[in-house]
Amino acid sequence: MVLTFFDKAGAGVLKGLDTAGDFAVLAGRTFAAIFKRPFDGKNLFRQFQAIGINSLPVVILTSLAVSMVFAVQLAFGFKQFQAEGLASQVEGLAVMRELAPVITGLMLSGRVGSAMAAELGTMQVTEQIDALECLATDPIHYLFVPRLLAAMVMLPILTAVSVYVGYWGGYLILVGVEGQSAYVFGNEFYKLLAFRDLRIALYKAFVFGMIIALVGCWKGYRTQGGAEGVGNAPTSSVVTSSLWILIADFFLTKLLLV
Amino acid sequence: MALIDVVNLSKAFGPKVVLSDVNLSVEEGESLVVLGGSGTGKTVLLRNIMGLLTPDSGHVSIEGRIISQLSREELFQVRQSIGMCFQMAALFDSMTVFENVAFGLRRHQKMTEGQIQARVEECLGLVGMRGTDALKPAELSGGMKRRVGFARAIALKPKILLFDEPTTGLDPVMTDVIGRVILDLKHELGVTTITITHDLKSAFIIADRIALLFRGECIACQPPAEFRENPHPVVQQFLRGDADGPFLQDPPPPKRKEAHA
Repeated sequence: MVLTFFDKAGAGVLKGLDTAGDFAVLAGRTFAAIFKRPFDGKNLFRQFQAIGINSLPVVILTSLAVSMVFAVQLAFGFKQFQAEGLASQVEGLAVMRELAPVITGLMLSGRVGSAMAAELGTMQVTEQIDALECLATDPIHYLFVPRLLAAMVMLPILTAVSVYVGYWGGYLILVGVEGQSAYVFGNEFYKLLAFRDLRIALYKAFVFGMIIALVGCWKGYRTQGGAEGVGNAPTSSVVTSSLWILIADFFLTKLLLV
Repeated sequence: MALIDVVNLSKAFGPKVVLSDVNLSVEEGESLVVLGGSGTGKTVLLRNIMGLLTPDSGHVSIEGRIISQLSREELFQVRQSIGMCFQMAALFDSMTVFENVAFGLRRHQKMTEGQIQARVEECLGLVGMRGTDALKPAELSGGMKRRVGFARAIALKPKILLFDEPTTGLDPVMTDVIGRVILDLKHELGVTTITITHDLKSAFIIADRIALLFRGECIACQPPAEFRENPHPVVQQFLRGDADGPFLQDPPPPKRKEAHA
């Protein structure tokens, strides 16, 4: 009984280490391949479009919705202490420091990370990745690198868009519905913020972009077992990258706010 | 020295031994056909030759260079001289036929767009697929996909062509077409080929030598005429296409007399 427990626990630990090692090796190979030739600008541009431009509607809508509902909650909460003026300050702080990077990261892990896992997974089970190898093309260089670069560039840009949309979401509720002064809201929104906060938000988005691209590509690349495997890869990619985004968010906040 | 040397090659996946001490050598310009039942390790043999799998023991060497000992860069260099045709063609489905065939040229050759266009046309012409440049793989039939796969494999003017079951799943007429295309490529390009197939008709047309894999071992490797006369019961059973004999591990279902009545 005890032996079986240790046996199972040991096997689990070994499997976990094996998975972590595999991810680390592929991630290392991806970073090493960034500067290798040939440079495929067309492929990179396509990824910029898929990850950045095509994600704009979903980022704008979710940022607007989350910032509006947050403003409603803040207005309601602060009203109980007759401190309505603080709502716009806290709204600014929350949008810039947490809501914009995390919501953008989570939405893109669902929209983009899953698409990467599904695309690479299909390529894996239909031997297209083997075909790349046979055409003397490193799949890591051809498939991983453009996605990683595009995600690392586009996530910060989309986060900046999300902050901007968040401002107007708060404005709609606090000025439009709660009747606060537009001039006061404009000043108060940024009152508790420093340039450092924008920098932290963009750093976070940069790391989230890395997580989304690497996990999405890794899950797709390691797909096995035909249709079922291709079906599982995106789900697994979204769960894993969302989890790591939230864990990374905690540590980055702790580290960067010091 | 042979162009391709397979020496004591063994490969197992977990407890299942797929290849066991396989020895083969293919001379320059020669055409080897590898026959064998399903699951006897034919595809695994090709994947070892391409360096997509690493042998458990033994080795594969191409022009004297041992594949499993090469660095990634050296392996990619060797692969530029090998064209691989996959069983289901493995065309890049997000690209057109033209982009598929031009893929290797764009990555490895310093050619102008005009030169690439001309080479792609030439390759598609060799496999009888001219005029399909703008189509996507999803718009092609199985036989057309295979032929585009051939065109992609020959685009870089390889010395060696590997065909992984090029006729599986095709109708008899298309099977014959594919057989003729392989023969044409062999004669016009003078390449060394290894073809894995179940189709005996095209095997005897294409082959300079025929090898038979049985339970992971190579039990025969000889010219077609000698292969046909080989007294080994497995060879004879395979040639007859009969279910009765030592070929199958599990006994086949008995013949039903009523079915013939």
